[in-house]
Amino acid sequence: MNEESSVPFTAFWTWLETLPLSEHIGFTWWFPFLESLHVLGVGLVVGSILMVDLRLLGRTALSVPASRMRRELVHWTWPAFALAVVTGTGLFMTRAGTYIANPAFQFKLLCLLLAGMNMAWFQFRTLRSVGAWDTAAVPPPAARVAGLASLALWIGVIFAGRWVGHII
Amino acid sequence: MIPAMKESVAAWLTESQAQELAVYLLGNVPGLPPIAQSFHILGIAVVMSSTVMINLRLLGLAVPSQNVSEMIGRLMPWTWWALLVNATTGLLFVVARPNRYFYNPVFSWKFLCLVPAVLLALVIYRMSKREPGYWEQSTRRLVSARVIASISLVLWVGVVLAGRWIAYSDYLYFLYE
Repeated sequence: MNEESSVPFTAFWTWLETLPLSEHIGFTWWFPFLESLHVLGVGLVVGSILMVDLRLLGRTALSVPASRMRRELVHWTWPAFALAVVTGTGLFMTRAGTYIANPAFQFKLLCLLLAGMNMAWFQFRTLRSVGAWDTAAVPPPAARVAGLASLALWIGVIFAGRWVGHII
Repeated sequence: MIPAMKESVAAWLTESQAQELAVYLLGNVPGLPPIAQSFHILGIAVVMSSTVMINLRLLGLAVPSQNVSEMIGRLMPWTWWALLVNATTGLLFVVARPNRYFYNPVFSWKFLCLVPAVLLALVIYRMSKREPGYWEQSTRRLVSARVIASISLVLWVGVVLAGRWIAYSDYLYFLYE
């Protein structure tokens, strides 16, 4: 299949794939090694976010203030996300052109982008008024929508991510 | 004894109708393999946010403001449900291809990590259920809790890494042959 021709920057993806590092990852135990660390990173990212989302939805941990739940868990979300990005980039490099053309991979990137935008909106807009609802069992609609969207998008990331390998 | 048991279970499964059914489902239900695997990873995420988070809390590495007993009571049911989901989704693949798993050393390593990890989680859960605040009532208990938490964390990481390596066990063989 010549999928690469349908995506832009073909030359760049080809360059990336033919780097010595990419070839080393692709042809040695590095690939499964990075992949297993990727699952660990994803598990921690989604796990920590899940806890915050369910609190925002007013479903669990109602005795914990929402802002504190977010603040304490984000310490684990970011390092885990960094691990997932670094290992994910390593995996991506081995067949960059094929992954970019893979609809599951594209959907995963879209979910990640939307999840990031949702998180930024929540942090810089919705969270400003947190003083008024921090200890409320059920936060206001804006916070609940953010929690629900985040939950859906991260589940989407997991499904799309697992689907990538079934399409190639 | 265990290798012989594994052999007979694998042989019995291979001949069973359950194996036929699992193969049929995986081959004929559109998207079932990636859907089941995605639920499996989602289950891992829930384990990370429940029992693993409790272990990190016991070690003073996460959610310092949350109360240990309250966390255990609130989060451990999530662990048990996640383990049930992962057992179900995992079993689908094991039943479909028993020989692929039962003769795979990485699969054995995964369970050598998983079984003690679950038992340690049970210990943390049961003691706290029986006596709220159990793990924080004395320095000795807190130290034991931290030892259990450290071992559990290593085991859970082992479960996740080995789980992903099952599909690549050939690499390990080539490496050490």
